[in-house]
Amino acid sequence: MKKFYSNKPAIILFAVPALFVFTVFVFYPIVQVFNKSFYDWNGLGTGTFIGFENYTKLFKDTVFKISNKNALIFAGTITIFQMTLASTFALVLSNQRVKGREFLRIAYFIPVVLSVTVVCQLWLAIFNSDSGLLNTIFQRLGINYRQNWLSNRYYAIYAISFVNAWQWMGYQFALLMAGIKSIPNDYYEAAKIDGASTFLAHMKVTIPLLKETYKICLTISLTGGVKAFTEMFIMTKGGPGNSTYTLTYLMYKAAFREFRYGYGMASASILVIQCLIIILVINWLFRDREGRDAKWGRIKEKAN
Amino acid sequence: MKRVTALLLIFVLCLSMFAACSKKPSQETKTPDTGKQTNQDKEPAKDKEPAGDSTEDVATDEEITLSIYAQYADDDTKVPYDYAVEELKKAYPNVTLKLEVQAQDDGQKLMTYAATGNLPDIYQVALAQIENFKQSGNIMVLNDIAKATGFEDKVFDSAKNILYNEDGNIYAFPYAGNEYVVWYYNKAIFEKYNVEVPKTFDQLLEAIQIFRDNDIIPMSIFGAEGWITAAMYDVIATRWDAGGIAKLDDGKGSASEDAYLNAAKMMNTLVKAGLFQSSASSTNYDQAAQLFLNGESAMFINGQWFITDAAATLGDDVDWMYYPSYDEASYEAGKAVWSGGGAAAGYAVNPDSQHAELAAEVAAFISEKYCEAKVKYRGTPLVALDVDVQPEMEFPAMMQKLQADIPNQTSITKFAWHLTNAIFKTAIEDQTKYLLVEDYSPEEFITEINNALAQ
Repeated sequence: MKKFYSNKPAIILFAVPALFVFTVFVFYPIVQVFNKSFYDWNGLGTGTFIGFENYTKLFKDTVFKISNKNALIFAGTITIFQMTLASTFALVLSNQRVKGREFLRIAYFIPVVLSVTVVCQLWLAIFNSDSGLLNTIFQRLGINYRQNWLSNRYYAIYAISFVNAWQWMGYQFALLMAGIKSIPNDYYEAAKIDGASTFLAHMKVTIPLLKETYKICLTISLTGGVKAFTEMFIMTKGGPGNSTYTLTYLMYKAAFREFRYGYGMASASILVIQCLIIILVINWLFRDREGRDAKWGRIKEKAN
Repeated sequence: MKRVTALLLIFVLCLSMFAACSKKPSQETKTPDTGKQTNQDKEPAKDKEPAGDSTEDVATDEEITLSIYAQYADDDTKVPYDYAVEELKKAYPNVTLKLEVQAQDDGQKLMTYAATGNLPDIYQVALAQIENFKQSGNIMVLNDIAKATGFEDKVFDSAKNILYNEDGNIYAFPYAGNEYVVWYYNKAIFEKYNVEVPKTFDQLLEAIQIFRDNDIIPMSIFGAEGWITAAMYDVIATRWDAGGIAKLDDGKGSASEDAYLNAAKMMNTLVKAGLFQSSASSTNYDQAAQLFLNGESAMFINGQWFITDAAATLGDDVDWMYYPSYDEASYEAGKAVWSGGGAAAGYAVNPDSQHAELAAEVAAFISEKYCEAKVKYRGTPLVALDVDVQPEMEFPAMMQKLQADIPNQTSITKFAWHLTNAIFKTAIEDQTKYLLVEDYSPEEFITEINNALAQ
């Protein structure tokens, strides 16, 4: 292996196809997104260079503010819901004594393999204010709480977030289960010898050792929340009005409904930057404590 | 040896990737010199000459396949298309159409085709896209073909407005004539609950109350689609200003004018009174239509094309009413003012088609046959061309009534899909959907519409 790593031509040759694909299908389009965001462009032709005008308009656009607020709500809701439930279920089902483990593991994962469209149609039926399951349950229980779940300008975003959270919770659950399985049993035996309860063992052993898995889960939830689109596209079309818009939906509206591709690209650029910031912050938060402390120490030293 | 094998593998991998990315030239629709042309190289439509030569095409018996991008989703679109294809076989035996069904995607697919130089030979196009395609040279000017084929002469005088673009050119062959937003009502339900057909909004509010008291949905609307909520708003706005949303689209008015604010306030009042079903903003067409056809809702708003289906299901129990207004005088005056309209849209032709002129002839032919099929089989005389066919069935009474009313009409607006200002179109669709929410204020609505108009 050491010999292979010293063979630079081989490394280059093996890396070139992947780099080529990445450059053509990821890097170049992202560069183009930023480039076209400075143009007044209708999607056809070359467009006219207008500098930062698209960004100026974007920051003044009330829908931009709504989109950012919704992104925060969406990302926050799905992160809290998914990570809390996925962690709880994974920790409970990691216990060999729990009955029906196999069934529950499959059950939690089933929504993940369903098409988003199917899931959205399912929840559209459940949320239907006239004949939906949710309102019917309230009615049968004698609770006067009929709601227009998807027609409420303030709460529709939470209803949509819940759908996404419900569907993808199983994915995070699977990641955490895999992480738990990779923890050697010796640690738990040692904890048991030290007199730790199951809860304490999970708190002191399982969760700290799942740090990298949690980092991935958090990245998926937060970036997934910020760039949410499919659920609102299928369930509310961004409505009522524009109350469930996100930046992705704003980009879609500008580019594909208004033929303002330049403006849409400006929105997409902000989205890319937001996702990058989220990833950087998560990476920073999850850095080794020692490394982080040392860096802060150096910064403080320099400041003094 | 290992190194050689590795190199060989990488070479094969790269080769297969490039092979997969390449595109096999289609003999049916594109020639190598035109098919690969991207939009960057194009010129505006006015300067664009068709790439193909139809004389040669027609003179020979060469089998020609033209690609066509058209609606083909329900009886209203399938029947005319199938009829046109059958007729085409008789008139152009050497021409075959290869259909690609139009996606309901606000024209995104068509835009992508245009951007990548892959437009079909013939395509159905909306007005907003025509404006884009004019600038980028993706649409053929059809003036000469319209004259040569006699298409221009067959267009009803009343439909000339939907033949010519603002710049005076013909970019698409229309088939639908001016169409109308029709306010349907179930006569049987109205009679059962002794409700008079409302002439004023006050009477409408009384009717809403009676229907609500009897667990009848006053009006079902498919609010998941923005065009119908825009149409509903337009119907109300035209009671105060005959220009309706078309006036705003043309840049001749501001949403702050009383007419538009009054309309927003009235729509808000009607929503609060319970005019629509509770899940109106997420109800799709099928659901809303079923509510009306099943007798669960007393009224329904849709285009006149729904007349055939409504009459087939509800028979004599269904009729349309003139739009209610703020008082009886304006109600009477408003009978001549309709929401709806037409636009210079229809079948367009790709100027880079290998058989551009033939495609243009075929497009004109198909549009004409669409008109025939609509009259003959779909019970609608509201077509763009004066066609010499007799309907297989008598027009429904509602259609006859509408047809008799057309000469009295003095003003018509636009459907949302005929709006030329794409930003305004998006705003009016989104914001009128928003008006279905009780706590969305008319003032917020007006502000958002003005913001859109200012861009």
